[in-house]
Amino acid sequence: MKLENEDALDDLVICHKCHTLHKEINIQDGSKACCRECGTVLYRYDSRLAEHGLALSIAALIFFALANFFPLVKIEILGHEQFITIPKTFVSLFDNGFYIVGLICSFLIFIFPLMIFSIYVCLFCLLKLRIGETLSKELLILLSHIMPWSMSDIFLISILVALVKLIGYAQIHMGIAFWALMVFVLLDLYMTRTMHISEIWMLRKRIFLKKNRKEKSA
Amino acid sequence: MDVEKKNLFKKEQEREVCMIEVKEDELIRCPVCEAVNIDKGKENKCRRCGSAIYKHRTFQTEKSWAYLITAIIAYIPANLYPMLITKQFGTTEGSTILGGVLMLWEHGSYPIAAIIFFASIVIPVLKFLVLFYLLISVKYPLGKDRKVNKHKLYYLTEVIGPWSMIDVFVVAILAALIHLANIEIVAGTAATAFALSVFFTLLAAHAFDTRLIKENR
Repeated sequence: MKLENEDALDDLVICHKCHTLHKEINIQDGSKACCRECGTVLYRYDSRLAEHGLALSIAALIFFALANFFPLVKIEILGHEQFITIPKTFVSLFDNGFYIVGLICSFLIFIFPLMIFSIYVCLFCLLKLRIGETLSKELLILLSHIMPWSMSDIFLISILVALVKLIGYAQIHMGIAFWALMVFVLLDLYMTRTMHISEIWMLRKRIFLKKNRKEKSA
Repeated sequence: MDVEKKNLFKKEQEREVCMIEVKEDELIRCPVCEAVNIDKGKENKCRRCGSAIYKHRTFQTEKSWAYLITAIIAYIPANLYPMLITKQFGTTEGSTILGGVLMLWEHGSYPIAAIIFFASIVIPVLKFLVLFYLLISVKYPLGKDRKVNKHKLYYLTEVIGPWSMIDVFVVAILAALIHLANIEIVAGTAATAFALSVFFTLLAAHAFDTRLIKENR
């Protein structure tokens, strides 16, 4: 195989599931390209990726704030009422002296999701305004490092499991935050499904290439 | 016209000289930004994001082994000590992971028992075994001719791995929720051990170099 220079490597894609080499082709707006070996989605083309991403990530941040401020579930046992919020779950672990678990939980269900969506908002803003070439690079690197460590979806399932354990003993009322968290998790899943990080890299390349070319010609 | 043609030909020739000859197996994928890179030996830097591709994981498995062994060691107390301690009217009762699953099964909530059983026993053990197999198989020609897609195996462990955190989260939620004068649920020692175990298996999986699979295929 012959290549003109290293930048020509951007036309190639390696499947992240089975490591088969592919050549990238232009596809229609809104469609996706799949791996020929295992059928995994390799990339999508969305001409309004920055706008979609910005809208989705701001929505997700709003729902995340709702999920953290309001009570998640409320239970009634023997006339006593108790409720929890997301911060309360790991704060109570700290109170009981479980510092390691508390630290791990707070990172996995609070700090990392918050960071991811703040980074998304910053990133898409930068790409939209066409500024910050190095900053957007740093943000993308940081994003791909913390992406696998966000576990709000697992936390949502855990809430359900914990509630089923309590069914016989207490009356359970779902709070606003539970539904907000559900919407947040759905948005999170939708974003990780449709906006793969390599697409944001490609978008960044297109934007700054265009900008640099314009500056040169001007 | 002739001059133009000549120029074009010259340009074409120059381009031909500038071309880099690359073999297809020399192309590697950056684990951070997923850009395709040319493998240049030991010290690779991704041309797009600048992160070292195999600097501290230069074809070695030691880091992954260390994390995996730590995780297995942490998994032992996670199963022996109580995960959940229930203080009810002055009596204290602890239940281990397996005990909790059995209790749920006896109470008739089979789906939840199955979920907990899968999340906290099947998935971690399966992950240990798969990582063990992958780490050994990249060093020794084990199962080389068998049609096991190791990339898929690895991908599977990465996807299902985090789900073993369910039990820790459940304990955290219950401990935060049940805080009454008479009834109180407190997390046990096993929660710490289990969280650490899951954390280290995740690290082991991340430290594992998928390129080694390709080498040994």
